[in-house]
Amino acid sequence: MSTHKVEQLVIATVGFFWCFLMWFSTAAFSPSIAAHYHLGIKALGLLASSAMWMAPIGRMAAGWAADRFGAPRAFAVVLAVCGLVSIASAYTTSYPLLFVERILVATAGVSFVIGIQHVAQWFEPREIGTAEGLYAGTGNAGAGVGALLLPRIFGTAYQAAYLWLGVGALAIAAWYLARGRAAKTVARRQMARRASGWKGAVFVWSRYIALALMLAYAMSFGLEIALNAWLPGYFVRGFQAELLALGFTGVAGVQIAAGTFAAVQSFTASLFRPFAGYMSDLFQRRGWTPLPFIARTLPYAPRLHWLGIALVLITLAMAGLTAAGLSGSLHGSVAVLVVLGTFVSFATGGTFALVPLLFPDRPGLAAGFIGGLSTGGGIVYPLIFAGQSDIYSGYLRVALTLFIPFVLFYFWASRHERRPEEHGVFFTARAAPAE
Amino acid sequence: MHSTTSASAEHEPWYRYGVATLLLEMLIAIAVSAYSLYVTFHGQGGFPGGKLIG
Repeated sequence: MSTHKVEQLVIATVGFFWCFLMWFSTAAFSPSIAAHYHLGIKALGLLASSAMWMAPIGRMAAGWAADRFGAPRAFAVVLAVCGLVSIASAYTTSYPLLFVERILVATAGVSFVIGIQHVAQWFEPREIGTAEGLYAGTGNAGAGVGALLLPRIFGTAYQAAYLWLGVGALAIAAWYLARGRAAKTVARRQMARRASGWKGAVFVWSRYIALALMLAYAMSFGLEIALNAWLPGYFVRGFQAELLALGFTGVAGVQIAAGTFAAVQSFTASLFRPFAGYMSDLFQRRGWTPLPFIARTLPYAPRLHWLGIALVLITLAMAGLTAAGLSGSLHGSVAVLVVLGTFVSFATGGTFALVPLLFPDRPGLAAGFIGGLSTGGGIVYPLIFAGQSDIYSGYLRVALTLFIPFVLFYFWASRHERRPEEHGVFFTARAAPAE
Repeated sequence: MHSTTSASAEHEPWYRYGVATLLLEMLIAIAVSAYSLYVTFHGQGGFPGGKLIG
């Protein structure tokens, strides 16, 4: 069967887009589910947070499975299982059972790292930033499209939505199996399979550069999901007088305004992500290495510099968000959020333009580790934001106590001019461990 | 600014369409953000989407 890498990119992107539709379809209908089962605010919060529970471990397992069994098989299994459970949840009448089923459907979010591995197995280093950016950025939009369109298409009939989302997932799973190919060459496929054992996993997890990229992704994607959860409440509590002055009265009106300001950050962070991948490619083509200390002669050194710039910009923007909040400026805070969302996209796109190049023989394991563990940021940052004496200072506290050390570690881990992946704990041999 | 040895490689035809797609996505992001901020700052409601994850 003949195929083309663009066909593989399209299959992976469509699969990822659909998985994200399913991942956040619970949140899209949470008011309807709450009304149907008479849920209180705590139960509703538990249902909303459950979408992230499977991400850290699930993504690490999914990355390993992509290397071991190939992305088409791994992705098809995720789509089929989540699709079948989604269909089952459409006919469930017990809330505890529905809760468990929706947690299982939320494992669709682990598909991110499978697609990253799939695209990495097909595209060349000079174009990997744009290819991964298109995959991740376009697929991410599934969550936003779901939040916007699903309630408008299905109204309060969440059962019908879950049924059709499940049917769609099964159809895409069949398409993925029929047309998906794991890698461009047999040699590339076999290299990933051979390196996918436990020794290979420990090797990746113990590399300083992998830890640095994981922290970079926690600074960007982890921050993005933390802000998704935190910002609506921040605007309601921190700028209530300003929102009332704009004409938003009542709980519903203030929530709409606060939600809009919060959404701008995540929308920008998602849809600028392909551009960030393109910028990584551009840095690479032009050979730009402006930062001190970071390696300059590695084949992918300019991409390390692009990501370093993004991390510094995120740290500065976090300080700016606190400054805007303390000054009481709603307009200023929203403007900083737009900028912060853009910088976040620079780092998310920049990180996964690097991962396949640093670990070409273990793209799934590396993507799973970096894309999985980093989601812990979504849990940690809101706790720090909420733990300050005032609601505005948390961003600066996170920047000073976490992000600056993360950035310094990134610079330190990226300083090696030859094979940075050799440096870490446990394994010091030049060659990666064989299985 | 230091320059590496990487030469600017010729891109395949798909790359032009890929870049066009990402530019379109950026324009959508800018337009939706600008519109939703405009209507919200004028007290006319807002854009209810935005739980985007990657």
